[in-house]
Amino acid sequence: MTKNPDKGYVALLGWSLNAVEAAASFDRRYVVVAPDWAEDYCREHDIPYVPWNFERLNDRSMEIAQTLADMGVDVAIPLFEETVEWAGAINSVLLDNPRLLGQAMLMRDKSLMKRRAQLGGIRVGIFEEAHDRDDVMRFLKRVNQTLLKLDGDPNDPIHFKAFDKAGCLGHRVIRTPDDVDAIPDEEFPSLMESHLDGWEFAVEAWIHQGKIRFLNISEYVSLGYSVFVPASPELERYRPQITEQIEKLVKTFDIEFGFIHPEYFVTSDSEMYFGEVAYRPPGFKVFELLERVYGFNAYQALILSFDPKTTEEEIQAFFPKEVEDAQGYAGCFGVYPRRRVVSRLEIPEETEDHPYFESHELTAPLQETVTKRTAFGTHWGLVYFRGDEADTLKALLAHQETLDFYM
Amino acid sequence: MTDPDDVAVTQKLALRVERFDEALAAMARAPAFARPGKMPPLLDAARLVLQEESGCAAMASRAQAIEEAGVFAGSDWATPQILVPSLSRGALRSADAGLVVIESLSQLRLLAIAQSWFLHPLMSSEQAHHYLTQVLALNLELLFAAPGEAERAVQGRLARVPRNLFAYLAETIGYEHVIDQLIDEIWRVLKQRPIQVDSVKDMITQIAVCRARRDIHWGGAGQGADRLVSSLYGPTQATREDPGLEEYQRRLDRMDAPALQYEASGFARAMHDTGLVSPYHAVILRHLLGQGDHLLVECLGLSSTGRDCLLCYSDLVHALIESAVFPGTAQAVYGLALMLERGILYQPPIAPALWRQLGLSLCVSAAERLQHRTDTAITPEARLLEGVLCMMGLPLGIGQGNNPTCQSARALSMWAFNDPDYLLQMVAWAARDDEIVMHFEGQAISSRESAGGVATEMPVDLDPVSLLVVPHLDRIYAEMGRRCVGRDGDPHRWVNPEFHGWWSGRGFHINVDVATGLLHELEDFLRHFYAAYHPMYNGNQPLIHPQPAGIAVTDSAARFIGWHAITILRVSLDPSGMMRVYFYNPNNDSGQDWGDGLVVSTSGCGEQFGEASLPFEQFASRLYIFHYDLLEYGEPAQVSQEELDRVMGYVHRSWGRERLAAGGLQAEG
Repeated sequence: MTKNPDKGYVALLGWSLNAVEAAASFDRRYVVVAPDWAEDYCREHDIPYVPWNFERLNDRSMEIAQTLADMGVDVAIPLFEETVEWAGAINSVLLDNPRLLGQAMLMRDKSLMKRRAQLGGIRVGIFEEAHDRDDVMRFLKRVNQTLLKLDGDPNDPIHFKAFDKAGCLGHRVIRTPDDVDAIPDEEFPSLMESHLDGWEFAVEAWIHQGKIRFLNISEYVSLGYSVFVPASPELERYRPQITEQIEKLVKTFDIEFGFIHPEYFVTSDSEMYFGEVAYRPPGFKVFELLERVYGFNAYQALILSFDPKTTEEEIQAFFPKEVEDAQGYAGCFGVYPRRRVVSRLEIPEETEDHPYFESHELTAPLQETVTKRTAFGTHWGLVYFRGDEADTLKALLAHQETLDFYM
Repeated sequence: MTDPDDVAVTQKLALRVERFDEALAAMARAPAFARPGKMPPLLDAARLVLQEESGCAAMASRAQAIEEAGVFAGSDWATPQILVPSLSRGALRSADAGLVVIESLSQLRLLAIAQSWFLHPLMSSEQAHHYLTQVLALNLELLFAAPGEAERAVQGRLARVPRNLFAYLAETIGYEHVIDQLIDEIWRVLKQRPIQVDSVKDMITQIAVCRARRDIHWGGAGQGADRLVSSLYGPTQATREDPGLEEYQRRLDRMDAPALQYEASGFARAMHDTGLVSPYHAVILRHLLGQGDHLLVECLGLSSTGRDCLLCYSDLVHALIESAVFPGTAQAVYGLALMLERGILYQPPIAPALWRQLGLSLCVSAAERLQHRTDTAITPEARLLEGVLCMMGLPLGIGQGNNPTCQSARALSMWAFNDPDYLLQMVAWAARDDEIVMHFEGQAISSRESAGGVATEMPVDLDPVSLLVVPHLDRIYAEMGRRCVGRDGDPHRWVNPEFHGWWSGRGFHINVDVATGLLHELEDFLRHFYAAYHPMYNGNQPLIHPQPAGIAVTDSAARFIGWHAITILRVSLDPSGMMRVYFYNPNNDSGQDWGDGLVVSTSGCGEQFGEASLPFEQFASRLYIFHYDLLEYGEPAQVSQEELDRVMGYVHRSWGRERLAAGGLQAEG
């Protein structure tokens, strides 16, 4: 791809092959900032590269910012949760805006971000920090007391999440004192939230000059298993309210550019509750799903929305019209083995034969015994579907949970 | 009316093909570094297509796009000309879907090449056709037998992919055609009497296995298979039902002399008929060691020459049988028989050199290289001895395998043919000392001290002697080439005589200008070639020693493929009265179509086993280098302009059509 000499460089923080591929096929010059294990690969394939080990921010943070500034980099783009604060630190130097670091730190702490949202007048559920199991027990009891449950009634669950992990990692649903006992020490401190009955969904929003430029609603079929885009017409009905919520979020968090990925609940009375927000691409390959239905590369969109040299015309030309321009619906399903002992991968024939089935990225099992799932954990790979009907896709995704992919 | 089920099936396939096309487009679009990531979804999409009945056709029609998107890049499949047909068996039966699919895509690509749907830069349509016939032969049961339980258990639905593939391949090429062509093919190869017959034996075994099954319907095909199968598994009365080696030994123990003689002559007939030796033949030959030499003569099928030779060197022959002839090294029998027939034992150094070979202890690396890959009962020593006997008996049966080492194979063949004790010396050096020293213009060149050869990898698909000696020769040959760097002209001028032997003429002609790659004084070159080699123009002098020569190999479309090393063996009239050049081609199969009407003959035109031949004019048109004796030689021949114009016409319509990059060593050979 010929690069546009009028623009500067963008730096991608963290190693993502899909992101690098998108950057290589886009008109912006770029550099990958990644740990030194990526060096050989980058050299071999002529990928512009700066080695950096992303540990906690330290007194060398200035060094990487300066290195990138000297190379002509205009902005740093975080690709993973762990590089969000680095992007904040680097961009506060590159863009001469010290508040960007503070903003990034908010995004990295689930508890802080909830308080900030609350301050901005955004509805959130009941939440508290937990430092040990006693805190969790107390919270579980108090929440259920509030719900006027009597002793012996089944508890409403609470959610338990690590402060600074992406997505479903370290996310547990707690119902009983046994569940509390099962939490390992190293997962503290963490955030606890009341459970909201309702429809969970996520939003991907690209922001440029403080305005939302593209807003996608990702609908979860069941949390941790499956998601599809764009959302079904039933959920898309809420688009005006959702957009309003996101605008509030953008204002509250003072976001001028870039990309946010918040999660919400909408309850049966149409009330929106804020869950959390991340300042990086979502897991679960929503970017790939978006490309399947809209045809634009979401990583390139990321570069556009971060780059301060992006013009209004470029933005206008790049993004399609939400929902209207989508070609059907694309969804993916995360596979967890259902059996305790597995020896081979076998995609169910009905799955493969369904006209919506597109592809999968499952690989043969490396171990025979399946670790018992405690938290939502990591799936073994995704299966992709695409088709014209949201309802069919939704039912299909839900149905996958009843099938064995590993035998 | 269209059957709604058909419509559904067609729609399903269309959808899957569409998904595949998307994956292929994504692959083609991606920068090179990102392509590996696009492979798994692409292969999976291909698998879904190939699992459908008409899926193979869809994939074959996309062969070129698949190749150009880089699906085969960075793997062995990128160079189809080196693919080994026998490896396809394992690949297609793998539980790894990716492997099954990429192997299938590669086969479909070869089909596309064979059908000329796709002009491949590295492979001709004939090569592809030839390869596919072999693959089909090696996988006959996929074509004819119902899937077994094992297949289902390992592969599940994936098993449909190789099944559909073979049905489609055979359908496109033609079922009966496959079997009959395969049998013809085996006979054609066997008529050249190659030393390496492992793959031929594999194919015959496959045919035998399939013929033994009732669930396979052959139709009218496969009539010519009997002799092939029986020559390996039941050439005689007492082996007819393939009783097993131990049972056969028991039967031999109970036989009287006439019965033994009857068996012995049965084996000899089968062996001389096909060039293949049954493992039973090894059993009986060992059994006959104690029974008198006349039975050995019978069992080896010797003529009076061979018989005299055996009787003269009885102890040596006994010792050779004792040490070299086992069921796993049965081809040694044929090598021994033909060596005796050649009468070379009467050359003074040969018998003592063979005694040295019998007592030779192998160095560690030689023993490792000779260790049989699957059959550990065969000792490296026996294997080497088998190879030595075969090479001494069949000097024109040496093949280069899939290695760019035509020069070394040619040298081995020339020595076995013309200077056999020198060959035995080479073998002793390589096997015992792991070093060969040759001299180039007075300077010693050690194979141990020389850097890399023309081949970048150690060859594996060779006869035992080549396996051992070729790596040494290849390094020495390359080193000789390096010592010519900076000289004006083609290095073969100096390297060939020094490398092959004193009898290679020091006179040298080449018709390509090394600097520009353009044809150079073609007419003059041809007149000199006629004068040196054509009996009508050289005073009716038959060629005395085999001479190295270089040819420009072309494919069936007469496109230039590369420079290749051959040996001119003789020039004489064939049975129909046409003047032909008989030559040795180190390529494994000499019967090739070089395009523009040039089809190299290997039998039926007066060829001896292993010889290839072309009419003189046609041969001259592919020649680019030849050697001659400077002292014997006279004026350029007064060949008629008409005849020369015909030869030059062949040149200009084929490899001479475009500028050529000449020079360099004949590495492509």
